[in-house]
Amino acid sequence: MQAIVQIRGLCRAYRQGDIEVVALNNISLDIPEGGFTALMGPSGSGKSTLLHIIAGIDRPTSGSCVVRGVNVAELSETELAGWRNSQIGFIFQTFNLIPVLSAFENVEMPLLLTGLSGAERRAHVEAALELVGLQDRMHHLPRQLSGGQEQRVAIARALVTDPTLIVADEPTGNLDARAAADVLELLTVLNRDAGKTIIMVTHDPKAAGFARRMLHLEKGELLRDEEMRGV
Amino acid sequence: MTAAGFIMRNALRNKRRLLLTVLSVSLSLFLFATLQTALRELTEPQTNAEAALRVITRHRISVATVLPQKYLNRIRQVPGVEAVSQFTWLGGVYQDEKNFFPQFAVDPDTIFKIITEAKVDPLQRAAFERERTACIVGIKTMNRFGWKVGDRITLTSEIWNCSPELVIRGVYSGGIDESNLFFHHDYFDELMDGFGKTGAFWIKVRDEAAIQPVINAIDSSFRNSEAETKTETERAFQLGFISMFGNIQMLIGSISTVVVFTMLLVTASTMSMAIRERMREIAVLKVLGFRGSEIFGLILAESFGLALLGGIVGCGGARLLYSNLDIYTLTQGFFLKFEVTPHILASGLLLAGGLGVLSCLAPAWAGIRMSVLDGLKEVD
Repeated sequence: MQAIVQIRGLCRAYRQGDIEVVALNNISLDIPEGGFTALMGPSGSGKSTLLHIIAGIDRPTSGSCVVRGVNVAELSETELAGWRNSQIGFIFQTFNLIPVLSAFENVEMPLLLTGLSGAERRAHVEAALELVGLQDRMHHLPRQLSGGQEQRVAIARALVTDPTLIVADEPTGNLDARAAADVLELLTVLNRDAGKTIIMVTHDPKAAGFARRMLHLEKGELLRDEEMRGV
Repeated sequence: MTAAGFIMRNALRNKRRLLLTVLSVSLSLFLFATLQTALRELTEPQTNAEAALRVITRHRISVATVLPQKYLNRIRQVPGVEAVSQFTWLGGVYQDEKNFFPQFAVDPDTIFKIITEAKVDPLQRAAFERERTACIVGIKTMNRFGWKVGDRITLTSEIWNCSPELVIRGVYSGGIDESNLFFHHDYFDELMDGFGKTGAFWIKVRDEAAIQPVINAIDSSFRNSEAETKTETERAFQLGFISMFGNIQMLIGSISTVVVFTMLLVTASTMSMAIRERMREIAVLKVLGFRGSEIFGLILAESFGLALLGGIVGCGGARLLYSNLDIYTLTQGFFLKFEVTPHILASGLLLAGGLGVLSCLAPAWAGIRMSVLDGLKEVD
């Protein structure tokens, strides 16, 4: 299968005072289109940093990260913003919904940057909310939803622009077991039935078990690359 | 949802803070409009077409120095002079010090040929001219004290050693100032034991073209005399009179600056707090694809809208309030009018909008410059 993400010699170092901390050290890998990949590793292993670089919210110190033919590291901040809007759907651990907006409006936010009409936006939002099973909660504010429902709204928001990649940073980290299973099942369906490419950071082996491929990182280096059977 | 709807939701997320901020800005703008109106009323005396044809001759040294009465005949003969009256400020009070209003000793037979815009009943005017102790009073002062024609009043001068006892024989209305009281200069002379002086001469000039020649002719006629004169238009005279109060413009300007600066601090502080609380959300917006310029636009619009709302409430409130108040009575005759003009209104709104923009620049810049990861760490 064609690689949608191509990473070559990727390094990311931070400076903490006089000390240079290497978060990623010479990572090279391909992520195929339509894959469901889990990035695993202990805290400080560099898995979130790798995800952030792929999503265009952090920049490598050296090396390249090419997503569907575009080297993300070479884009300006303004270009990156537009690129993220059209290519990336981001799911956060803490949902990060805007508290003053309803579920519908939260999902609609990324579409405000597109040229879609109000009616077209409505159709997209309703379809996304239906896909995550929240069509009856669309006018609820985040505080009126459970954690699992909030995360499903966040997934709908990530989906609504029909992005190339869905990236999820510990999407079940703030959920109870049942809600976490629902969210993971939803991601599996999106991957399997809708053909969405998903990259998920987790340190929960159960969550990683939903993926079809698992990349193990430790101390900024890629230790293992395993194909999974899926749950 | 539209961008405007999103801005509105953000503005309304802390209703108490919004209310307090709008109230602070509106109070500041109310004060600004009040001060600017006061400044305008004090430094820009009202004028009209009739007033533009009036000039005043006073002593060259100051308005407080008197001129000899004998100048009257020579001024009357100057080509272009249509009417002239003696004109002495009594500076009196009625019963109590707080009951102050303008009173002038004038020549009764010519005064209404000079203030031609004043309307007075011909019978009342004749009665005023006939009786030595008669006076004629502007409608505002009549209403202020509840006086009627025929009432007897005593004024106690705080400048001259006299207390004219007058009988009201008429009421005038119209013209720039409806608060004056006019009484006979002859009676004033009598009370002052044959004073023989006048504060100034009030002159009606034939037409606009004659104003400058009349001014030149009068002043050159008394050059090198015992009391040299300075003749100027009524408006210039009023401005000179106002300048005796000191630099009002600077005083009010300074207070206005403090008010505006306070408003800037209030709005800037509110916007800083509002944006600091939303750093995580700004980071999320960036992740969703919002550019720096779009985020700046959202913050700017919110700050601008908030300040403008305060401006509308403050300036609009001032205009509404002062147009429905009897300012003359309320200020005991100090202000004849107190009009928040469209110009002051526009200045206030412009100021509010400008400060709204200015106050959000620093916090908006911080929000734009912040990296997405730093913004997301605000929670994590």
